[in-house]
Amino acid sequence: MTATSGPATGAPVDRVDGRLKVAGAAPYPSDVRYPDMAHAAFVRSTIAAGRILAIEVTAAEAVGGVQAIITHDNAPRLGRAAASVLGPPPPAPLQDDRILHNGQYVAVVVADTPQQAAEAARRVVVTYDRAEAALDLDDPRGESVANPFGWDAARGDVEAGLADADVVHEAVYTTADNTNNPLGLFTTVAAWQGDGLVLHDASQWTSNVRTTVAAAFGLPEPSVRVHAPYVGGGFGAGLRAWPHVVLAALAARVVRRPVKVTLTRPEMFTGVGHRPSTVQRLRVGAKRDGELVAIEHEALQSVAMEDDNLEPVSGVAADGYACANLSARDIQRRLNIPCPGSMRAPGHAQGSFALESALDELAYELRIDPLELRLRNYAETHPQLGLPWSSKALRECCAVGAERFGWTARDPRVASMTDGRWQVGYGLAGVSYPWWQVRCRVRVTIGADGTADVRSAATDIGTGTYTVMQQLAAELLGLELSQVRVGLGDSDMPWSPAAGGSGLTGALGNAVHLACKAVVERLGELGRRTGESYADVLARRGLTELSTDAESTPPDPQVLGMAPSGAFAAKFVEVHVDRDLGVIRIARIVSVVDGGRILNEKLARSQIVGGTIGGIGQAIFEETITDAETGRIANATFGDYLIPVNADVPDIEVTFVGGPDRMTPTGTKGIGEIGLAGIAPAVANAVFHATGRRIRSLPITIDRLLQP
Amino acid sequence: MSACSVTLRVNGSSARLEIDSRVTLLDALRDHLGLTGTKKGCDQGACGACTVLLDGRRVLSCLTLAAQSDGREVTTIEGLSGEDGELHPMQAAFVRHDGFQCGYCTPGQIMSAVALLEEGRAGSDEEIKEFMSGNLCRCGAYPNIRAAIRDVAQRPAT
Repeated sequence: MTATSGPATGAPVDRVDGRLKVAGAAPYPSDVRYPDMAHAAFVRSTIAAGRILAIEVTAAEAVGGVQAIITHDNAPRLGRAAASVLGPPPPAPLQDDRILHNGQYVAVVVADTPQQAAEAARRVVVTYDRAEAALDLDDPRGESVANPFGWDAARGDVEAGLADADVVHEAVYTTADNTNNPLGLFTTVAAWQGDGLVLHDASQWTSNVRTTVAAAFGLPEPSVRVHAPYVGGGFGAGLRAWPHVVLAALAARVVRRPVKVTLTRPEMFTGVGHRPSTVQRLRVGAKRDGELVAIEHEALQSVAMEDDNLEPVSGVAADGYACANLSARDIQRRLNIPCPGSMRAPGHAQGSFALESALDELAYELRIDPLELRLRNYAETHPQLGLPWSSKALRECCAVGAERFGWTARDPRVASMTDGRWQVGYGLAGVSYPWWQVRCRVRVTIGADGTADVRSAATDIGTGTYTVMQQLAAELLGLELSQVRVGLGDSDMPWSPAAGGSGLTGALGNAVHLACKAVVERLGELGRRTGESYADVLARRGLTELSTDAESTPPDPQVLGMAPSGAFAAKFVEVHVDRDLGVIRIARIVSVVDGGRILNEKLARSQIVGGTIGGIGQAIFEETITDAETGRIANATFGDYLIPVNADVPDIEVTFVGGPDRMTPTGTKGIGEIGLAGIAPAVANAVFHATGRRIRSLPITIDRLLQP
Repeated sequence: MSACSVTLRVNGSSARLEIDSRVTLLDALRDHLGLTGTKKGCDQGACGACTVLLDGRRVLSCLTLAAQSDGREVTTIEGLSGEDGELHPMQAAFVRHDGFQCGYCTPGQIMSAVALLEEGRAGSDEEIKEFMSGNLCRCGAYPNIRAAIRDVAQRPAT
């Protein structure tokens, strides 16, 4: 790798919270207990649309230990916060008798023990007036919303471009609903303390939970404190304060005791978002030599009846390639489904499957090597903004990846390579995950002993934020790693954006940079002599500590004259397909990533490997199935919803190329999603190469491969 | 509900509990003994996060009633480290090889890995893959988990 390294930066140091995690001592929200804590369980709707006629609770109340049963009949009216950068929070739960999706919470049962709460919840009898539900993405009864994010893109004249093309490839690609399924069952523990509220919540964004819950109960924000020092994964599911969070606080208020609610695995499929299914229509026109002359990408996706989700799908086409004529449009269709939400590489996971599959098909039609086709249309500048990239080493990703993978050994003919009964195929995809940054605050404090504390409301969901921020601060302050402590996951700390959108390392890192520089400057003003320890400076000036808050703000591309770059990557995949059984094995994957400056190569590699495995799931396993009759999720368990297991995953090669990004002082680019983007199309392209079967629907399952 | 009396012998200590007969070993460990290192990832026996050793064999504590464990020897993640806090070689190898990210499945992975070695199933990568496939990791640490297990398996016994 070529990332620049300072004394403590870039070094592949072990995860600083590793010792706690391997000892089972890291405190997750589900591990929190209060004396006299009660437990809540939910009753969920068994229909997808209609009204509640009656809720019979007599049998449930008879269960020993039951403290309260809360329904729309007795729940107080709750407020709704203003929209965040991700859109408005979910509508407040239990506010009326309407049912908008199967699995919607219709009652909360609070009891002394979790066993009592679960039993009582099963004994609640709900009768419904059932209405026709819109469940299918093709259902015209679902209202469709064009350009839902205002991010649709257009340039040139697509029809003219297509008319001018020598070859036009047109196809429809579909992707299934996928469910985030972090291993940690989302848990909220709510404890009212006077007029204030303390929450322990499996959140990726404590500041947002505080805002949502404060608005729900009409509280000033400072009276809500949200703790999430450790989170059992999120992958986007923890970006919003979902209804169970508000209901935990409500239950605690009703029973006047701390209340814990832990979602069941089936509830994790209906209550905390999912990656929405898409139907994408692509028209791509090219000249005989491979020059792209038109791209039209129209992406239809599902969304809930009365909730929203920011999921730009067709955007991959807008900034992926140099092409004069482009139209990229998103459409959302409102359905009676649990609300989708971000899931690792939101929008891009689906969009890159369609675009990178279409380019592969075009390459075969043009008889041009798929890698060559991509390089021929390489976007030297940002195709939509017309500005130079702040950094882009995608060409190097392609070259290094082709070399390490052995791309040139590929026989370009389909179904030409075999290994015994296995058909062997090579596929690739080139991808980016766009830049995303919002403002972020941090506090850096030098104590009397000369060590430093770095504090932010941000969360570390397993990405390594604790570790890389400790490294970064140590480097900037000139301290040893062991002299810096990082405190995260507490909404009383300075405001932070979400651990999501590949945006936190940049936002928080730049804030840490500003704060550390200010601290060092202040020490200079205090007359620090060369080589003098911070402790001595403070002692000499009679100070017990020196503290600075700083805020990073996203740079303005127009002011800087640069297009902000996200990470880039080239993905190379070898698949083996059993010629008779259709079984697919991922034999090897080479990922080459331009992630800007890499703060810790060991952890960065883990991020890419993890994203890649998420991509394997999307490619060949994951499909959340909705029963067409009832709208019920039919496979809401780990026994039925398949995710990759150890035996499904080969060793994965990761190489970092490129250098620090020019946009910000830290030079990092987020790498949380780039590992996933592009894996599904690279697998699909490899499956085509192996078998001659073009699968345009994810996941690529045995039945789809064996269909005549 | 009916109550029952159970003696749990966990990590060398013994505790007598009067509990609801429906309480699983997992909930007994977490909610009654305060041993929260063992995690609940599905409560359906499908993810392995709750793996503990029962009389030396790996079991899913969410599918094992506390009452079934009466008088038997339970080892949890908290029982792996030495009394001085020194990590078990498998724990240390997981840190060294970054065999986790969020850390939630990790106690279960480590308990499974420790049992795997006892079972003599860590002879090859293929074996490790197969016999660690009952422990899901959504962060995608599998290659690093294999590296950690290989590392420990290949060391001379001390």
